[in-house]
Amino acid sequence: MAIARSRERSLLRKALSPSYACATPLELGGLGDGSLAQPGAARLRNHVSGCARCQTELTLLKEFENATPRPDEEGAVSWISARLERRFAEASAGPSLSRTHHGAALPRRSWFTALNVGGFALAAATLVAAVTIGLREGRAPELAPPSPAASTVLRSDGITTLSPAGDLDAPPNELRWEPRTDAASYSVQVMEVDHAELWSAETRDASIALPPALRARIVPGKPLLWEVVAKDAAGRVVAWSGKQRFRIRT
Amino acid sequence: MANHLAAGGGGASIWLQELFRRHYTKVVTWCLRVAGDREEAHDLAQGVFVKAQRHLGAFRGDSRVSTWLYSITRSECLNYLKSRSPLDDALEDDVAEALPDDPESRPEHIFELRSSVQAARALLDRVLTETEKRVFTLHYGDDVPLQAITRLLGLENPSGAKAYLVSARRKLARALQRWRAAERVA
Repeated sequence: MAIARSRERSLLRKALSPSYACATPLELGGLGDGSLAQPGAARLRNHVSGCARCQTELTLLKEFENATPRPDEEGAVSWISARLERRFAEASAGPSLSRTHHGAALPRRSWFTALNVGGFALAAATLVAAVTIGLREGRAPELAPPSPAASTVLRSDGITTLSPAGDLDAPPNELRWEPRTDAASYSVQVMEVDHAELWSAETRDASIALPPALRARIVPGKPLLWEVVAKDAAGRVVAWSGKQRFRIRT
Repeated sequence: MANHLAAGGGGASIWLQELFRRHYTKVVTWCLRVAGDREEAHDLAQGVFVKAQRHLGAFRGDSRVSTWLYSITRSECLNYLKSRSPLDDALEDDVAEALPDDPESRPEHIFELRSSVQAARALLDRVLTETEKRVFTLHYGDDVPLQAITRLLGLENPSGAKAYLVSARRKLARALQRWRAAERVA
């Protein structure tokens, strides 16, 4: 019985595994939002429409996109959120490594430290609360009123950037944005398009000069991104510009 | 003015914070449905976020962030299921008991006898309902336990994915019998 079942499973697994023609999750997402380039999109769409494997993946992707806790899951999701929040706080305070059940080591300065622990905890708690009022992707989450304990409060009005933007004739000398009355300082960051950081700095002004070493790395045709974050006197984030894109014409 | 030129690596920044702010619930809910246990789901969700942070530099913006995060979550969850104990034998026994005791009608024979995997897949496509196809593919193709499939697909019937799997196997057994009968006539 066990041998027959094992053989059955092995054969079925082989037969039902993705073929060379099957779409990856990223391709399925591209088909769904129209971002996949032709003619590959047409070929893939034709395959997906008749492939049980791809249709299953598509169903899972849609379930993920719309995943909000059902009534019987809300308690567990809240519990997980609270526990993660505690773990993040502990990790930011202590130097020790912890290890998950399947062996993924959590580095001392891992993602939750970079995220600003308190801010992430607020974000997590806010998001869990927002689920109950029907949060959907594509709409900014409703934020809870700022709490004294919160270290990050992102406001929806953001920061208006002035320059650089779009196609330029020469490397920019500085980054400029409109000042905010509630900002005591600004953090800026210049990145490659894959979000790898090239340069970052802090300033109290609504502009900052780019160092020669960075300007030398701004070459014609290569798009770059930059962003600015406003902070209040306590160092709490109060607004974000979003990613701005620019490049030097070739 | 603090100022530094990065030597390379990922720029986590506020962008990453926004990413998790928007998609946190999706990941946690999904992990809970896969694991079916809040302790396991907690570890799983944490693993997803660690991996996302590690691979942030590889995200080129060609796809939606949620799709990118889904591909990481999916991969982590399947690895988790593989690392766990074998599928729930009790449920497997339930499925077997609900089916006729005919070794010749077992579904793998379709893939042995049909001229190609593609033809066998076409047969699956023809005889099964959409939900049966999803359950069959996830259970036999990805080793996803029936209880997890019930949760992932939000199946609300009393026996969940098990009922769809039994139904799918019955239909495939009948299709196989018809195919054998046609072969004998020919």
